[in-house]
Amino acid sequence: MTNIVIAGHGDLAEALLRTAELICGPAEGVLTVSLLANEEPASFDARLTAALSRVEGDDTDTLVLVDLLGGTPYNVAARWLLRANVECVTGVNLPMLLEILTARESVPLPQLAALAVRHGRDAIVNLGPMLGKRG
Amino acid sequence: MRVDDRLIHGQVIAVWGRHLHIDRIVIVDDGVAADAFMQEVLRLAAPRDVRLQVVSLAEAIRTLNADAADRERTMILLKSPQAARELYDGGLHFEALNIGGVGGRPGRKPVFKNIALSELEISTLRHLHDQGVRITLLTVPGEKSKPFAELLGR
Repeated sequence: MTNIVIAGHGDLAEALLRTAELICGPAEGVLTVSLLANEEPASFDARLTAALSRVEGDDTDTLVLVDLLGGTPYNVAARWLLRANVECVTGVNLPMLLEILTARESVPLPQLAALAVRHGRDAIVNLGPMLGKRG
Repeated sequence: MRVDDRLIHGQVIAVWGRHLHIDRIVIVDDGVAADAFMQEVLRLAAPRDVRLQVVSLAEAIRTLNADAADRERTMILLKSPQAARELYDGGLHFEALNIGGVGGRPGRKPVFKNIALSELEISTLRHLHDQGVRITLLTVPGEKSKPFAELLGR
């Protein structure tokens, strides 16, 4: 089963995981790394590395979900892509996380990353026009 | 001209870019200039309407002066006060410098918000200040800022 690391600014990663667990139950093999206010990249890098080596122990696949394309968690996590068994998806949201928590038992890592992107995007709709509301 | 050891990151893309209507970001850093993978990572994250260039300090001194007449609104990102001084002493005479983020680490004392500076960095900035560069400590626009001169007053 693919492990998951959620990396984000402030409390977002923690809150996302807690909220997802509220909906689909306790999740194993999921870690969060939060960029603290005033934290420099090197320190965040060290904590992300620690988290990745914790879930990576037996060469299992890991999917890193980061909150913001271009943010420090992104800049730091991107380096891990050089590993064959790590993929990284940006713009993590609750629907994306719920989808991969349930799919990761059966879907291999590269497809899981693609699924995360598709599902995260598909879950975003401008409701008014979809329901025929006139602007 | 901004010193921020995170280079491009959340605050820069989400707040600064829009606030200043930036057309171009130039990262001046020898490490990133020699790291093709990291350049791709940064390029992918740059806003679509912003041109991103990554140059070494030496290249920056050579090329940025020639660009001065350019009408493009350019944000120059540096990792350290030392880099700013090298650019200045190399002939790029900028008028203002924003210190946006310098992380705390041994040898650096916190001076303002997420900005920590060592004695050496303060004297580096003092050198620029003495040349007439307006130095401001400011994380994101709209927040409280502090003129560098205030640090010297103490």
